[in-house]
Amino acid sequence: MARAVADDAAAGGGRPGEREEHERPSPRARDVGLALVALVVVAAAAFRPLLEDLLDQPAIAHWATVFVAIVVQAMPFLVLGVTISAAVAAFVPDDLLARALPSRPVFAVPTAAAAGVALPGCECGSVPIAGRLVDRGMLPAAALAFLLSAPAINPIVLVATAVAFPGRPEVVAARFLASLLAAVVVGLVWARTGRDELLRITRRRKADEGSRLSVMIATAQHDLLNAGGFLIIGAATAATLQTVVPRSALDSLGGSSALAFVAMAGLAVIMAICSEADAFVAASFTAVPITARLVFMVVGPMVDVKLIALQAGTFGRSFAARFAPLTLLVAMASSALIGWWLL
Amino acid sequence: MVVALTAAGGTITLLIGTVLLRLTVTGTYRRYVRVGMGPWLAVAGCALVLLGVLTLVRVIRRDRPDAGPAHDHGAGGVAWLLLAPIAALLLVAPPTLGSFGIERGATVDVRAGPAVFEPLRGAGPFPMTLLEFGQRAFEHAGASFANATVSLTGFVAAPSAGGFELARYQIACCAADATPVVVRVTGVFGDVPPADQWVRVTGRSGSVDGDIPELVATSVMEIATPDDPYE
Repeated sequence: MARAVADDAAAGGGRPGEREEHERPSPRARDVGLALVALVVVAAAAFRPLLEDLLDQPAIAHWATVFVAIVVQAMPFLVLGVTISAAVAAFVPDDLLARALPSRPVFAVPTAAAAGVALPGCECGSVPIAGRLVDRGMLPAAALAFLLSAPAINPIVLVATAVAFPGRPEVVAARFLASLLAAVVVGLVWARTGRDELLRITRRRKADEGSRLSVMIATAQHDLLNAGGFLIIGAATAATLQTVVPRSALDSLGGSSALAFVAMAGLAVIMAICSEADAFVAASFTAVPITARLVFMVVGPMVDVKLIALQAGTFGRSFAARFAPLTLLVAMASSALIGWWLL
Repeated sequence: MVVALTAAGGTITLLIGTVLLRLTVTGTYRRYVRVGMGPWLAVAGCALVLLGVLTLVRVIRRDRPDAGPAHDHGAGGVAWLLLAPIAALLLVAPPTLGSFGIERGATVDVRAGPAVFEPLRGAGPFPMTLLEFGQRAFEHAGASFANATVSLTGFVAAPSAGGFELARYQIACCAADATPVVVRVTGVFGDVPPADQWVRVTGRSGSVDGDIPELVATSVMEIATPDDPYE
């Protein structure tokens, strides 16, 4: 009920005309946009020698390689996520999701979190999908639980974890349980205390007119450019931190397990590696206690600089400012608990 | 800055798709991600090109006054940032990771290798990965080498008189998760190659004290960057 009221407020008078401003760009504005694209490309071509000189600096070359690698690596997953999101927008009837899920958060949140098993991919793809699910009327707390669990507990990631930790199935089990637990707890906490009005996404009124193909194209275009833009911010941040903060600084932490635990959680936030690869990186920290490596794998798919940028772009900044710290704390607590129990 | 992103957005999408396809076709993508990602990049590139073209077609059609849906959600100014990697990749593709990261990153701990190796039979030289070399060196003090020569391919880091560190990155997914494997090369006569030069070193396993295995070189050959620069 509260949700519907918030929707109406947002759609009616909350932010008047925000959508309308986007609606029909004047032909002139359109030309400006195209001219800008052309200008950037031409300017880059003109400054090519300058760019090449810059890449002769080892630190800048390192930064550029990591930056481009994160973007290139994320693209197939982003395209997959955007495609699913566009298909949901075009083909899922308006209230199907709201009706299909149990209405009480106590049941809806765990159901949605467990459904994350079915989405093969990593975190870049799940943000636009979760955004679309909220847009389609899913309980926000449930969509957020799905957002957190999907990149961490799908079969591809679990198999990668098993490969990275050969002969240690308990690590895979611990990762699965800790991630699921964290996603459910964050979802339930959000359902009780979260403020859905912070979510910038409001349900569309009649945006879906036109053929299904039109809806798909428009949705895919919007989601791709929005998520892609924030992916760039996240990739640049991660590349900068990786270039500036030496990873070897962490190796000396092996001795103190509490310090290593916190440091590995922080490292997961800073490095922003894909959830399909983080198990291999975690396995490479042989000097670090196993519970600290677990927290690296649980926090990474849920909170990192790239994801925070993506979430801020999809759901709004004030949402991300509350959601990311909450998720980080819950993910750390969940890893500590499951690690203490299983590892 | 809410610029009309429909025409520009379609163009950006088309450009990203083109860049991805170009990376795949030229093989440059191997500098950034695992070789196995190639087909997925190609699929993503095709999908983006298609989306870009469809968007542009719609924009052009909608210039007629009454056609097309009225709601069109521009993405905010952030989408312009996508032009940064496009510009970088269309013009100057950043190189493979080099020696800069070696001193800064934690290296692969080869002593943790689970494998048990058959002894090498014959004189060699046997080509192998730096990781296998390290694991063999730390297993029973390198007994499985049976004094055979091996050849390793990597790039030069920390060159000094008479030797250097031979390094190669392992990546699980993309260059952001790269972890270097390092072998100390000694017994180099004459000029030591400069940092970041790719070389093929032939020689025998040396002493194994410390964390880094040693290769006593008999020959060091400078080579071009390999097609697949990561292990």
